[in-house]
Amino acid sequence: MLRSLVRTRFVFVLPGLIFLIIFVAIPVASVFVMGFFKWNLLSPPRFVGLENFKMLLRDKWFWNSVWVSIKLLLLAIPMQFFVSLALALCLYKENTSSKILRAFFYWPYMMPAVAGTTMWKWLLSYDIGLLNHILRTIGLSPVPWLIKPFPALFSIALLRTWGMTGLLMVMFITGLQNVPQDYIEAAMIDGANRWQRFWYVVFPTMSNTNLLVLMTAIAHTLRSFAGVYVLTTGGPGYATTIIPLYIYQTAFTQFRIGYSYAASIVYFFIAFAVAMITLKFRESRS
Amino acid sequence: MIASIIKWIFIVFMLVVFMLPVFYAVVSSFKPLGEIYNYPPTIFPKNPSLEGYINVVEDYDLLTYLRNTLFVATVATVITVLVCVMTGYGLAKGTFWGNRPVNRLFTMTMFVSAQVIMVPLFVVIRSLGLINSLWGLIIPAVYTPTGMFMAVQYMKDIPDELLESAKIDGANEWQIFWRIVFPLSKPLVAALSIFSFTWRWNDFVLPLLVVNKRSLYTLQLALATIQEEYGGAEWNTILAFSTLTIIPTLIIFLLFQRLFMRGIMTGGLKY
Repeated sequence: MLRSLVRTRFVFVLPGLIFLIIFVAIPVASVFVMGFFKWNLLSPPRFVGLENFKMLLRDKWFWNSVWVSIKLLLLAIPMQFFVSLALALCLYKENTSSKILRAFFYWPYMMPAVAGTTMWKWLLSYDIGLLNHILRTIGLSPVPWLIKPFPALFSIALLRTWGMTGLLMVMFITGLQNVPQDYIEAAMIDGANRWQRFWYVVFPTMSNTNLLVLMTAIAHTLRSFAGVYVLTTGGPGYATTIIPLYIYQTAFTQFRIGYSYAASIVYFFIAFAVAMITLKFRESRS
Repeated sequence: MIASIIKWIFIVFMLVVFMLPVFYAVVSSFKPLGEIYNYPPTIFPKNPSLEGYINVVEDYDLLTYLRNTLFVATVATVITVLVCVMTGYGLAKGTFWGNRPVNRLFTMTMFVSAQVIMVPLFVVIRSLGLINSLWGLIIPAVYTPTGMFMAVQYMKDIPDELLESAKIDGANEWQIFWRIVFPLSKPLVAALSIFSFTWRWNDFVLPLLVVNKRSLYTLQLALATIQEEYGGAEWNTILAFSTLTIIPTLIIFLLFQRLFMRGIMTGGLKY
């Protein structure tokens, strides 16, 4: 028995498989089972059928978190897409200055989210922040970046853009470098100017990259947690409580575990759909 | 010509926007407490001081958090690399029944986002008795879909003939793994180690779930916590703390920049 496991190299897979089962498969399975139970971690779970889901439908704070997530995507995704595309267009050529500059834009993605967010928080603080000081100096009124609902969500979108641009930029650069050179030359012979070459030739040719970048941006923004937790903890009120944060709060401040699992199921299907679409583009690209 | 001028104005503007928070936080971390709450704010500290840094070490136990983080990141990395290399080899070269479905199972885990399972993960860790233990930050982090994916892709490129000829020479499976596969995987091991260490160093969600004893805090958890506490740390201390925690990632990044950028195209995901 053991010998055949060794010979077929199954033993080598075993440790990984055990970790996968305990720390991924069991949690995923338990979400789908315990979402039908009422459970507060202390008393034994009680089967309630679809009760959690019915409550979820009526829960205005859950819908609020869905709506906040959508608003965040609407604010952050266009910003992320265009900033990283513009930078990629500036830096896609393989020379020393591009390589050095790319590192500067990529570094925020590498930085610990908590530390990076903390630095932003200092910059955005209302009374003593540098950003409001600049606004006051040029004669504008200071913005309550983290105090009022709209600027708070906008600040998060800004911060997500800052953190994600490096990743998306590198994806765009790879896409740009794969655009066949003869397409561009043909367009040049036809007398297309720089803008026309980009808009009619380059951009459509890399449509798969564009979609891949878009889906990656959506997936990452949808699951922001650390940055939002540190910058606003979901506030003011619930103005920046995105879905993952809401799940965290229902579980760990209200101890409604089964209920938070029901919310996780809804979130799972959203995240899974985004991931599957991304995979499709990744496959058709290669 | 004009296009190139516009391009450079744009690059410089973006560079300022991107580096301003870091730059301003780092210079502010050298301001004494009086100056930090001054209005209008100073850019460069007028009376540079190490007050914030001294507070971090003396009042906020930086060294304990550093020790915890280093322990977690190092041990988790060693185990992660070992498990990834073994599993990658088994999945890429295994001939066992059910190889393909198991392979697919591993790939599927890439689509489970960490936030979906954060609550059940807490329950699993709790039932294993790992709450408030540094092992609770290590063991659940060992399995990373991105690492597994990288390992399988790498192992596929090892020629079967090499393994066959070793077998003919009388080597058993363990000898083949340790003497041939592992040494051949040096580039993979290096990449996995660097990624894993950075992921663990930057991690926030797992420590937030698992640890609530101050003596077990990691750097990122401590940094987030001291900001929330009533009457918590002063800004110069918080900024000094942030500055210190980004330095190691900066060094790793500068040394292995290309690796990270290439990692995007294979993994593209952060775990």
